[in-house]
Amino acid sequence: MNAEHGKDEKMVRNAKLEKSAGFEKNTGMEERTGKGDRLLCMTFLFLLAAGFLLCLFLPKAGYSDSERRKLTPAPALSAENVWSGRFMSGFEAYAADAFPFRDSFRRIKALTARNVFLRQDNNGIYEADGFLAALEYPMNEASLMRAAERFRFICRKYLTDENQVYLCVIPDKNCFLAEEGGHPSMDYAEFEKRMAELADFAEYIPISDLLEKDDYYKTDTHWRQERITDVADRLARAMGTALLGDYEVHTLERDFYGVYYGQAALPIAPEHLQYVTGEDIRACEVYDWQNSREIPVYDMEKAAGRDPYEMFLSGSISLLTIRNPDAGTEKKLVIFRDSFGSSLAPLLVSGYSQIVLADIRYIHPDHLERFVDFENCDVLFLYSTLVLNHSDTLK
Amino acid sequence: MLFSSISFLYYFLPLTLVFYFAVPPRFRNAVLLLASLLFYGWGEPKYVLLMGLSVLSGYGSGLFLEKYRGGRAGKTGCVISVGISLSFLLYFKYADFFIENFNKVTGAELPLLRLALPVGISFYTFQIISYTVDVYRGEPAQRNPVRLAVYVVMFPQLVAGPIVRYSDLAGQLADREHSWQGAAWGIRRFVTGLAKKILLANQFGELCGAFRASEEKSVLFYWMYAVAFTLQIYFDFSGYSDMAIGLGRVFGFHFLENFNYPYISASITEFWRRWHISLGTWFRDYVYIPLGGNRRGRGRQLMNILLVWMLTGFWHGAAWNYILWGLCFAALLTAEKLWLLERLEKSRLLSRIYTLFFVMAGFVVFHAQNLGQAVSDLAGLAGAGGIPLVSAEAVYCLRSFGVVLAAGGIGATPAVRAFVRKISENAAGKRVLGLMEPVALAALMLVMTAYLVDGSFNPFLYFRF
Repeated sequence: MNAEHGKDEKMVRNAKLEKSAGFEKNTGMEERTGKGDRLLCMTFLFLLAAGFLLCLFLPKAGYSDSERRKLTPAPALSAENVWSGRFMSGFEAYAADAFPFRDSFRRIKALTARNVFLRQDNNGIYEADGFLAALEYPMNEASLMRAAERFRFICRKYLTDENQVYLCVIPDKNCFLAEEGGHPSMDYAEFEKRMAELADFAEYIPISDLLEKDDYYKTDTHWRQERITDVADRLARAMGTALLGDYEVHTLERDFYGVYYGQAALPIAPEHLQYVTGEDIRACEVYDWQNSREIPVYDMEKAAGRDPYEMFLSGSISLLTIRNPDAGTEKKLVIFRDSFGSSLAPLLVSGYSQIVLADIRYIHPDHLERFVDFENCDVLFLYSTLVLNHSDTLK
Repeated sequence: MLFSSISFLYYFLPLTLVFYFAVPPRFRNAVLLLASLLFYGWGEPKYVLLMGLSVLSGYGSGLFLEKYRGGRAGKTGCVISVGISLSFLLYFKYADFFIENFNKVTGAELPLLRLALPVGISFYTFQIISYTVDVYRGEPAQRNPVRLAVYVVMFPQLVAGPIVRYSDLAGQLADREHSWQGAAWGIRRFVTGLAKKILLANQFGELCGAFRASEEKSVLFYWMYAVAFTLQIYFDFSGYSDMAIGLGRVFGFHFLENFNYPYISASITEFWRRWHISLGTWFRDYVYIPLGGNRRGRGRQLMNILLVWMLTGFWHGAAWNYILWGLCFAALLTAEKLWLLERLEKSRLLSRIYTLFFVMAGFVVFHAQNLGQAVSDLAGLAGAGGIPLVSAEAVYCLRSFGVVLAAGGIGATPAVRAFVRKISENAAGKRVLGLMEPVALAALMLVMTAYLVDGSFNPFLYFRF
């Protein structure tokens, strides 16, 4: 009774206090008495305490496999760092990155965004027909002009009229997914047309008509090597050579989760990475100029690593030479390329005695003369729309 | 530090709660003060000293004014004290604005100071002024410097209000009650505010960002932007106020309400009684009434309105578009006082449309980077410049943000409150609500944590004021 009486007195006192302070209760959260209040407080305190203890004591990962990035480490505590505010800003980033069960929380967020708020994309990644793709629009005319200018620079610096120059634009997945799902996308036909106009020093080889969404991995940016043999054939024919085309398809046993999988954080089934081999591919010798070493066409160490797609010519390497000792031709090719080129180049080896792959995102064209002899070489600029539309990455 | 951050929710808040409730009651103000200094210093370590200086100045002024109030020395002291507080604000917030405009008018080339704006300076300066003026008017001065410092720097309301008047809090600084019941109320309020911020305001912010980044503007997109920003600023700011009021209650304080469903207002006059109530009340009590209010004839009253609203706009930011925003409201309020209010009363629907239209247009001006952008945004709303009615990007954004826009629209009205009340009316409903509440709270906390962990878009609009 006394306790009840005390509670009533307290409520009256509080009510008076609120009245005197001009406090208007208009929130729909009128105070309720009883066990419910304690339960609510306990639930809240439990969540805070559990979060605090887990943050403090659970071991921290240094790398996020799903996001494919290093996680922010704890900042160093020093007077200088605190005074400058660097410790605090570093801690904010660390606290979010090191939060326990980070991937599960990111998935909760992605599912809430998709299923509760019906958001059409999560962090710019959308799902359509079981495929994940990144929104890519609008067409960046200035970027296309810059890319063409960089290609022209290479042609002027290294090539003569003897060199045959080709350009091929690889459409990203949006080309086949966006419009159907109502997502904004570029006009890819216009994109190719404009790029071909800007790079009028090169013969344009169209390949869009050979591609469809199934030619790409569902969870990754890239195309599937085993499904682009027709693309390789067209390129080879257009450049005046022929491919043997006798391939065997192999499948990696491990699950493959592409780059969009981690970014989207949605529950999507894993895929299996496939690669093709043939007599010429097996006979090839690949030299990695960046690291001064011989490498295999298909790097099985990378296949077992964080990004299995890097198995194709060991991923992002600035300059490679592939020699085909069994080639029945003296033809040589230099490909200026992005990561899409890594899986395509092995398909072209049967048509060439040598293929050089240069990625001018990682090596400045000025340095190429030390490594590449352009004499009697055909040159192919092979770039995806993703790079051409953001060509500030090209050196 | 942001309320909507992992560091606040899972480091700062649990530790502060543990220390606060673990120490004997007489030390609680000290714990709150230390926690508040850490909270403020987390974002602005260098400006803690400035804030300390402001508090010290307020403390000394309070003692002086209590001793000399009623006389000439008291009056002079009060003016000097307010002047000192305002000088900090003028220097850090407005110096560059004045230099820039002086240079423009005279052709001089005085260098800008380019000072970083101390977070919350507009809020805590007003609280210190409130304290010194209240003491001058008869409130006893606070002799305990810790209590005065707690009043000014208390972390729940330090950086974005509500602006708490000293007279409202004086008693609670010395003696306040803590209860499960009050804490539960505070937690409900805090979580609601956090949800408003993370789940609604941030998404509206994303839509505004998408609009600004778009090269495919259309009339539809301009209107979506206007609606999204109107909702963003409401859920952002009222969410922050909810969190502040809720946390205050957990620590035993009763803060003034700051919002009361402003978008259901049927006039601009009513809107300003429901929006940022603590700022409106502050300007009324410390500027409008001392200037004479409505006691010196209609002409003087209108002048006072003009001045108060120009200052209100200027308080929000050192730029002409804020002043214009304030003056627009002065014009509308004047029109309403003179003749419009009577006419508006004839149709509740039309009056609400009128209010929302001008509030929204006002926020478009408010959110512009400069006057030029404000004019161009308003022109975009009117379809000027040959822009298309609809663009593919606008339609996509409408689809992508449709649910959150609808949720925001409903959440900005008392509909949810009415629904909860309706359920609570019978015993069964009340019981279900009681059982569901902790579950809903836990689920909301998990989802909001997920949004924070994902590193989603998360600025606080009112931190820059």
